[in-house]
Amino acid sequence: MTAPLPGGCLCGGVRFLVTERPMGVVNCHCGQCRRFHGHVGAYITVPRETVFFDADATLAWYRSSAKAERGFCARCGSSLFWKGDGNPLVDVAAGSLDQPTGLATLRHIHVAGKADYYAIEDGLERFPADAPEPP
Amino acid sequence: MSEMTAGAKAGVERVWTGGCACGGVRYEITAQPGPISFCHCGQCRRQHSHVGAYTTFPRDALRRVKEDTLAWYASSDRARRGFCSRCGSGLFWEGEGNPNVDVTAGSLDEPTGLCADRHIWIDFKEDYYDLPDDGLLRRASTDPDNHSKVES
Repeated sequence: MTAPLPGGCLCGGVRFLVTERPMGVVNCHCGQCRRFHGHVGAYITVPRETVFFDADATLAWYRSSAKAERGFCARCGSSLFWKGDGNPLVDVAAGSLDQPTGLATLRHIHVAGKADYYAIEDGLERFPADAPEPP
Repeated sequence: MSEMTAGAKAGVERVWTGGCACGGVRYEITAQPGPISFCHCGQCRRQHSHVGAYTTFPRDALRRVKEDTLAWYASSDRARRGFCSRCGSGLFWEGEGNPNVDVTAGSLDEPTGLCADRHIWIDFKEDYYDLPDDGLLRRASTDPDNHSKVES
């Protein structure tokens, strides 16, 4: 499947198109994603230049750490992006993509920071922190 | 221990606390929060950008200790969703006329001591993940108990 991926927030204030197909979706169990998303974060990772905005008037950014920012819609609260300083890639939250995506979940990262109210039961590979870079 | 139980309702062992990532919104829960429900509906998917995870309890047991940056969005004609306008953290779901309130599981301070008991709105699940084989209840939009449980 080579079709681009449209997406956006709940209220429509932010709409975008991702023109490069990612490998798949990665679930992040870190504490920052948990607060931001209200549960696990699920992201695709693509080059920044492959995300094109049709609407971004309500897009706001919060500096969530010394090295990253998180983008969200200031009108409806949709949690949308993770962007590392100086990183040519950007993480786009999977649930913000229009259905169907044709994507699948690949792995779990930062499971060492996982909350206590749920278990990871899907048999996918888990990493205590970031996944190793592919060779 | 006395700090944890101060303010808790009779018969409840502790007070649950939580808030957003930046500290602009902080809350306390003085009743036993219900078991976590994982919501697969389209609105939770868009706002949380994945599955929603909520605990439900009577509204009068929620005390908003700090709400400087709390914002609300009317996600339907009968409900609104609360989030932090500074850091974007998803926090609350309130239904009009509903005596209970839903709080996102991820906004609770750890350890929560809570467990999940069901998946709801599963007929609206997205395509990029499968429902795990976790033994939890599964409810679709057509099921009469397609909602989270409140502890009595």
